[in-house]
Order: sequence, then structure tokens, then C-alpha cells
Amino acid sequence: MTESENTSFLYPFIESEETDATSLLDDLAASARDKAAESAQLQQSSLSEYGDTLIAAGTKMAERFRRGGRLYTFGNGGSSTDAATLASLFTRPARGRPVAAWSLAADEAVVTALGNDVGFELIFKRQIIAHARDCDIAIALSTSGNSEDLMTAITEAKQRGLLTIGFSGHDGGRMAVAEDMDFCFTVHSQSIHRIQESHAMLGYRLWSVAQDHMARPLNGAHAL
Amino acid sequence: MTITAKLGGSFVDADLAADLSAAALDLARRFHDGATLWVISPEWEPHAHHVAVEFVHPVIMGKRALPSVALVEPDPVAQARVASQPGDLLIAVASADEPAVVDAMRRAHAWGVLTLWIGSGPRPPAGAANHILWIDSDDPMIPATGTFVLMYHLLWELTHVCFEHPGLLKPASDDCTDEVCVTCSDEGRLGEVLFEPADAVSSALVRTARGEEWVDVTMLGDVAPNDLVLVHAGAAITRLAREVSR
Repeated sequence: MTESENTSFLYPFIESEETDATSLLDDLAASARDKAAESAQLQQSSLSEYGDTLIAAGTKMAERFRRGGRLYTFGNGGSSTDAATLASLFTRPARGRPVAAWSLAADEAVVTALGNDVGFELIFKRQIIAHARDCDIAIALSTSGNSEDLMTAITEAKQRGLLTIGFSGHDGGRMAVAEDMDFCFTVHSQSIHRIQESHAMLGYRLWSVAQDHMARPLNGAHAL
Repeated sequence: MTITAKLGGSFVDADLAADLSAAALDLARRFHDGATLWVISPEWEPHAHHVAVEFVHPVIMGKRALPSVALVEPDPVAQARVASQPGDLLIAVASADEPAVVDAMRRAHAWGVLTLWIGSGPRPPAGAANHILWIDSDDPMIPATGTFVLMYHLLWELTHVCFEHPGLLKPASDDCTDEVCVTCSDEGRLGEVLFEPADAVSSALVRTARGEEWVDVTMLGDVAPNDLVLVHAGAAITRLAREVSR
């Protein structure tokens, strides 16, 4: 940090009289590169930390897809959009075999009906009750790992025999210690943005493992 | 064998960082002037939603909530046309050959809307958007690996840094006193037809970046709503090809 930044609060009028954007643009570009490097580093360390676990989880997902299982993804806010991107990776992959998946936040009629009638913390759980069969899969995404609506849905999913997977952040929160979670991938960062970027990469790796597994013949089996 | 995706951050080289920075300053300037940010992503709707929620409900407490809306109906061009006003912003997250985005980016000039285009694969032609923020990779999985998420996260973060520099948010001075100034000489402004002429001697109502105006279209013959025309000195002098019109 430069001296002028340290003391700028003493002279608020100086900033407002800036007229040349060159130095700001230079600072922005440097900041963009720093954050991008941090993002890449976090993605790499998350992939390394969970290498074996991702293979185990992706393999179990593939086994369920082979039995006709469906994937439900869910999160709040930006994580709900990342959950939707993950679901569409499974249903509409640019290569590989599409399998059934959807985001539980995608239907505004269902989400607002449940939120209004039974409470926001039940918007995902009630959908699990309605949709889930024991060969299905639930993936919850939360940068804090503490969202109540996700945790109640995961508990319900586990009781119904689903494979339960959590993507968390910070210290992992409730997700990291929940007995109902078969696999929890915690991205160790304090930045919600960087955590979400790593969640996407971890989700992509899960998809890759599941795809590889589905493309292999089962031992002794003739077909899927 | 598991295919390894390239890490999103590794794509952000000096050029892309400079592109993101220039785009962020333009975003901040337009927001400062009251713009709404519209977002389209016909192939990957969740990206449009993520951009919108990022600006509307910032993850960092204390940052300004800014108006941003994802347009995800089946015809995003029609939706953007009616939603946008001069001075607004449009971000597309899409490949270069997405027809609705190609069309929206072209029409945005007539709407007075500043455009940003985020994508990967073959690039759109230079000038197709005000800011082209591009990942030069032919990996079709890029949209699902967090790379686009990183790009719009960076855009949001840099935009909010710009708000700390109010002196730089004033519009660039474009006053001109020179009598032959091209900007003010009314040559070839893009317009989109709102209403065709009522009869052979009437004008058409045309929308340009400056607002709506009645324009003489006798040089063109028939015009239809949503046609793109070049307006010069109160008359439409050329109609742009219709092939990608909607």
C-alpha cells in the first residue's frame, strides 16, 4: 500500500479531483491478476486435497446413475446459480453421457409456494421428500456450510438413502461435521468469490470421474 | 482417464486483466449515472442469474446494491429491447456464434446501451461489443469450470474499487466545438424502427441512442418494426441486412 493510500482518508477531496484514470486502471489490472492467481492456487490446492475423495464420491455417483438415479443440486444466492450450472453440466454436457439432474431452486413456483406456506428453511427439504428415491444423489453448495435450508434437506436426503455431498467453505461449518453428509469438500478460504470458483472446479472433477466410470463396462455385466 | 481442466485464473494474463479493468471503469461510470445492468446468457442461464445477484446483493457487507436483472425468457433480444434505456449496460455470457447475443450486441448501439461480452472459444469480431472479455481456449467445458464465474467476480470487485475514485466516474468530456466534429455531425447513427410510417408521406418512429425521433424513410421504401437503419440528418439512408434481425 502506498503512502497516499494510507493517508487518503485525511484528504477525501483529493480522490474526487482525480482526472487521469491511468494509474487506477494499472492498479485494477494488477489486482485482477493477483486475485486470478489466488483463485487458481485455491482450485489447485482443493483438487489436490480431495483427489482420492473426489474419485470415491464420483464413482459412487456413477453407480447410482447406472441404476437410474437422479441428481438434485441446491444452494442459496450465487451458490444456487452454481448449483444450476452443475446440474446442467450433468444433463447437457458438451461431451460425454447426459444424466438426469436439476437444481431445486430452478422452479420459482415451487420455491415461493414452499417458502410462503411452510417456511424458507424447508424449500429444499420438501422437494427432497417429493422427488427422492433411494438411488438418487443430493449435492448442497454453501460457502459457509451453515445454511439451514441446505442442512435440513441433507438430513432428509440421508434418511431416504440418497448419496449426500456437500461443498462448503471457510472452516466447513455445520456441513463439515454433519453425520448425514457422505462427502464434504471444504474450500479453505475466507473469500466467498474464491470459494465459489473452487466449488465449480470440484464439481467439474466429480462430473469427470462419474463420466469415466459410466463409460467403463462393469465387471461381469453385459450392459448398463 | 480423467481430463484435467485448465485453472480459470491461469487465463488472466496482462491483456485480459487490462480488458477487465477498462470494462469495470465503464461499468462504474454508467452505474454512477444511474444505469441498470441487464444480463443475458441464452445457453447458460445460471451465469446470467449469478451476475445479477452479484450486483444486486453483494457478498461483501457494506458494498452498494446495484440494479441488475437477468433476462432469461426464450427471446432475450425482445426482452432486452423493451427493458433497456439509453445509458444502460448489457452483459452477455455466451459463445461468439450465439445468434441472439450477436443480434442483441448489434442492436445495443441503437438502444444506447454499453455492451460487455464474456465467453470462450473463437472470438467475436473486433468491435462486436464495447468490451470483449475472452478466454482463448477451445475447451468446450470452460463454462462449467468456474472460469466465467471468476471473470464476473473480478468485474464486480474491480467495479467497486472504481467507486472509491469519484473523480474518475464523471463522464469523459465529449463537448465539441469544432464545426466538423464527427460525433456531432449526425452521420450514420444506428436506429431501430419502432413504428412504420402510417402512409407514403409520413415518417417512421425510430429509436436511436439519443431517444426516439421521427425519421424520413422514403429513400428505403418499406420499413418494418425492428429494422435497423442508419439515420443521417433526419432521414434513414440505409437499412442493415435483415438476416440476423428478429
